[in-house]
Amino acid sequence: MGIFTRIFRNNRDKLADRHMSEPSGEKEVQCSRRLSENVEYILGAFHQTNDLKIRVLKKGEAALLYFESLAEHEKIHEKIFAPLEMGHADDVFQLPNAKKTSDLEEAVRTLLRGHAIYMEEGKKEISQFSVTSSFGRTPEEPQNEKVVRGAHDGFVENMMTNINLIRKRVEHRDLTIKYFKLGKKTNTNVSVIYMDGIADPTLVQEIETRLHSIDSDMIHSPGHVEEFIEDQSNSPFPQMLNTERPDRVAANLVEGRVAIMSEGSPTTLIAPATFFMFYQAPDDYNMRWFTGTFVRLIRLFSFIIAVGLPAFYIAVVSFHFEVIPDELIIPVKASINEIAYPPIIEGLVMVIIIELIREAGIRLPAPIGQTIGIVGGLVIGDAVVRAGLVSNIMVIVVALTAIASFVVPSNELSTALRLLTFPLIVLAGTLGFIGIVFGMLIILTHLTRLHSFGVPYFAPLAPLSLVDLKDTFVRLPMFMMKLRPKDAHALKPVALDPSREWKNRDGQNQSKQGSPGEKTSSTKDTKQ
Amino acid sequence: MHSVARQDGWISLLIGALAIQVILLGIWVVAKSFPEDTLYTINDKLFTKWIGKPISILYILYFIGVGSLIILLFCRMISMWVLPNTPLWVTSSLLISVCMYMVSGGLIVLGRMYTMLSLLLGLLIFFIIIATKEMHLMYLFPILESGWGKVFAGINKAIFSFFGFIVSLVIFSKVEGSHVQKLKTIVYAHCFVTTFYMFTVFASFTFFSTSELKLVPEPVLYMLKAFTLPIIARIDLFFISIWVINVATTLATYLYMASLGLSDLFKREPQSHFIVLIGVIIFIISIYVGLDISRIQAFNKVVTNSGYIFSVALPLIMVPLSYFIRNRRKGESSS
Repeated sequence: MGIFTRIFRNNRDKLADRHMSEPSGEKEVQCSRRLSENVEYILGAFHQTNDLKIRVLKKGEAALLYFESLAEHEKIHEKIFAPLEMGHADDVFQLPNAKKTSDLEEAVRTLLRGHAIYMEEGKKEISQFSVTSSFGRTPEEPQNEKVVRGAHDGFVENMMTNINLIRKRVEHRDLTIKYFKLGKKTNTNVSVIYMDGIADPTLVQEIETRLHSIDSDMIHSPGHVEEFIEDQSNSPFPQMLNTERPDRVAANLVEGRVAIMSEGSPTTLIAPATFFMFYQAPDDYNMRWFTGTFVRLIRLFSFIIAVGLPAFYIAVVSFHFEVIPDELIIPVKASINEIAYPPIIEGLVMVIIIELIREAGIRLPAPIGQTIGIVGGLVIGDAVVRAGLVSNIMVIVVALTAIASFVVPSNELSTALRLLTFPLIVLAGTLGFIGIVFGMLIILTHLTRLHSFGVPYFAPLAPLSLVDLKDTFVRLPMFMMKLRPKDAHALKPVALDPSREWKNRDGQNQSKQGSPGEKTSSTKDTKQ
Repeated sequence: MHSVARQDGWISLLIGALAIQVILLGIWVVAKSFPEDTLYTINDKLFTKWIGKPISILYILYFIGVGSLIILLFCRMISMWVLPNTPLWVTSSLLISVCMYMVSGGLIVLGRMYTMLSLLLGLLIFFIIIATKEMHLMYLFPILESGWGKVFAGINKAIFSFFGFIVSLVIFSKVEGSHVQKLKTIVYAHCFVTTFYMFTVFASFTFFSTSELKLVPEPVLYMLKAFTLPIIARIDLFFISIWVINVATTLATYLYMASLGLSDLFKREPQSHFIVLIGVIIFIISIYVGLDISRIQAFNKVVTNSGYIFSVALPLIMVPLSYFIRNRRKGESSS
């Protein structure tokens, strides 16, 4: 009995190889002793695809199978043939870097992952060798998130490289990574990354359940995943932060948020996101806090310009001329008087033209893109005013709006803002200031109602939390950010213990040095 | 207010605020003894089912009435100051739909919106501060010229602007926190409102002379109209634009209370149907009364008078009743 349990225990405690999570619940097919049957089965599983290479070894007694499109010849040589030639092992099955199985279905899956499998006549065993070739670019700085100072590396299309970049930045045992296989046909690797002990476990659980419930044939990008797992689809605002910067992901992980990566795309999703996170750029934290705050304020001011300036201008010229100071009325009125169309049409036409120029320039190669910019911006802008179709002040307003909308560090939010300009222009053109106020009220209500993974989207403004405002409108010095932002629901609220005690120590020293001096002077005084 | 108490209107306001403070205490006592209930279920328990239900219905009607009155006064101001040619149904339907959107988010969204938007009050105060440089304290004198009788008559007018405090009875149970905390919040809120009103009244009373004020229908706006900032020529338009937000939040509150009442009455959870229903009712009433000043004033009178019943008389009746019921409950539990 004792022996029996020991055997049983032994069996249970035996270490198993860990690898990416397999789609469980699939059937298992035991391989047969006959080599030709096995090869036949695998060929059938791949529908006789032509890039599956079979090398017959040992005069027909053994076979090595691999995808020549996935495997690398040098690695095959290095892992299988070199040890044999050097005499480290007599037989392929004795090679230590092989993973053994007797399941043909598993062999099929590992073949797809870029492994080579070795089978022999008369043996019910398959050796698998990882010989995957990978073609990756170097981690260059992402084009759309450049910084002046700070790290200049970015994520690439290979997930392992990306996770490596994060692990290098967060060297802590709490950094946890969970793999998922999503997409029934594409079998894309998706990973969820979080700091255990800081990130809210219910949040991690929620993200996992949402990821598990995705039942789609194809997952090709994080944007795809985002649509499946976000809270509110009927909203122009992005509810997860997209970034390609490892330093940004690392900072957010330590704040208690969760990152989602997928194989084949450098973009990482960060959840939960709040509205003001889209206005933070990594540059802010490399500057002095005065300049950082200044840049933040400029950026948030740009939000107001991007959404409201054309609407405000249209409301003023079509309803509330009396708001303009007296000296300005004549020039403004003079520029509008000769325009045939009402201001609202003018505004809509110009905003649409700007969008056309932007969309035309975005996908063209750089030299042609510049031409488009010059033709669109300078030639059309000038001609349209001279032709008397649009007033010159309207051109100024729309150009300012376009610039302001590009100030936003996040591309998704910038698009959302430009989209919001249109309804506001219409409201301003029909109801003036009152229309704008109504429009803004609807936008604010929407922002307040939005939630990203159970976190209010418009935090820390609604619900108002004055403490968290230290990193939204302004950026206070780093040593003052003692607590993590509340909106991430971090388990440990304290991010920073007192880090500048030396300042107090110096102060105490000075007072200690100062006090004897004072004493002496006072004694002198008494003497006198 | 000024029409009755003349330059002593601010005294009436102060006394009115104090009276309301007493009523608020009463409301707190009532709500404290029913920590789980809204106004409507409290009605059921205090007045028994047969009287409580009609009272609840009357309350809902009252809230709808106040909502319509707010809409009417607001639309009248808009059509007089900003958009003279826009028909009533456009502004009122827009305002109502914005409020319905706000209310359908539930109490949490309302609370968050209000705290965020209350920051805008700072801007309003700033605008009025600009005006105070033209203050003439002389206009306040002689104090009590018109006598105490007139001052007390002025309270009548002043108290109406405080009627919103009935909210505290409706949502008392929906808010987290201990009773003392809630009382503190209520008192602070009331003090803030009083100071804000006092400030406004002071500014407008000292800006216009007693004889001028008789002729001016909206003193604050006329006052602001006279001032010019270097970039903005007409401050009053901005004042109105921000005021719109305050009106919207007030209307949303009444909409919320009325729809909550309906869903309590019919014991159905999804409030959104009721919100739409009440929005439509308010819209129809506002169209029916129209922008005619005499009709608005008649409607105003009805609503104000019923306000005394629902915001002052009924809560005061509730106080002894709630004591009685609580004692009886205690007696039952001890026996």
